[in-house]
Amino acid sequence: MKELIDAIVAMDEEKAIALTDHMIDDNIDPMKILDAYRDAMAEVGRRFEEGKFFIPELILSGEMLNAASEKIKPLLTAANKSSKKKGKVIIGTVAGDIHDIGKDIVTLMLDINGYEVLDLGIDVPVAKFVEAAKDFNPQVIGMSGFLTMAYDPMKNTVAALVEAGVREEIKIMIGGGQMDNQIRDYVGADAFGKDAIEAVKLCDQWIK
Amino acid sequence: MNSHRTIVIACAIVIDELLHILPKGMDYRILDVKLHVDTDKLRQTLQKSIDAEAGKYDSIILGYGLCSQAIIGVRASGCRLIAPRIDDCISMFMGSRAKYKAQHLSHPGTYYLTSGWVKEGDTPFSDYEYTVQRYGKKRADRVIGIMLANYKRLALINTGQHDIDENRVYAKSTAEQFGLMYEELKGSRRLLMKLLKGPWDEEFVVIESGDTFKYEHFM
Repeated sequence: MKELIDAIVAMDEEKAIALTDHMIDDNIDPMKILDAYRDAMAEVGRRFEEGKFFIPELILSGEMLNAASEKIKPLLTAANKSSKKKGKVIIGTVAGDIHDIGKDIVTLMLDINGYEVLDLGIDVPVAKFVEAAKDFNPQVIGMSGFLTMAYDPMKNTVAALVEAGVREEIKIMIGGGQMDNQIRDYVGADAFGKDAIEAVKLCDQWIK
Repeated sequence: MNSHRTIVIACAIVIDELLHILPKGMDYRILDVKLHVDTDKLRQTLQKSIDAEAGKYDSIILGYGLCSQAIIGVRASGCRLIAPRIDDCISMFMGSRAKYKAQHLSHPGTYYLTSGWVKEGDTPFSDYEYTVQRYGKKRADRVIGIMLANYKRLALINTGQHDIDENRVYAKSTAEQFGLMYEELKGSRRLLMKLLKGPWDEEFVVIESGDTFKYEHFM
């Protein structure tokens, strides 16, 4: 596993793919392989904070995770064929914001962790969230936004869900750029998450 | 306002505009533009720079808005702090928060450039050069494709303070290279001017010694 983690952190895509393929062939637990990717992503994040890596490395490692999960997902679904989905989650980047790199990673992580995710995409109008909440009946809505200007559309979306009478049954989490308790309160969400792993944890807590 | 008792602390991008209109005798400090990718580090650096000057001046003008909330938690000690009530520097270059908001809502997928951003780099386009050098063109093309996936427009804001020709050539060719629509937006130095000279009315957040910037100040 260390070799795989090192290859990802070194941005050696070919080696990472080859090692992943070998592990799949050797019947290594797919979740363990994904854990290695998660650890590697965390290390990439650390180097980014230290100023050794930049945004391109975050994207390249995200891409490697994407490629690996494409291979691993069918194995997980095959293994869990009998078990049904844990719950339903709607996700989207709020009105005015078009950033989706983080949102897509959250969608992927929720998906491989057994959730049925409806991704509404980017620049999602308030009305679309409300409509989807009524039609899809999710337990959780995740709103993403990278810019500080995303806070108001998030707040408006929550207000519209209240007005539509569906807020009570749904947990709302926010993420993307800078989120904290103050923003959670301002927006009227139930929780915020700093990364995709926290998003999965929140859903696991709420949907038991 | 006594210019000699006031200092400006601003990001390199903002200083690029402020230097043209800085009152005589007003001191300034420049902070690295690269700090903006790391909110905590920007907040710490900003606080350190403020604390280093606080005893020497009555007022510190900050060339920062919310900037991913980096300003939240920054404390005034020994002098007052003045910051524009905006999300980020684009409002300063457009002339008001309302003008930026209008652009943002009508054209969400816009990457904004100013003279300072062209000079200082640290854009997806400079990241592209870095990625080509480090990981080769093929992977760089993929990375920039992801970074700009939902961007449709490259807007060069002309505040009227620089010889725009060179920036225009760069912005136009960059837009063409990455398949973005090019547009030049008429900027303004109204808010920049007001930041330096006042009046510091509702378009600004002013905190006195002992106070801290809070999110609600910027709402």
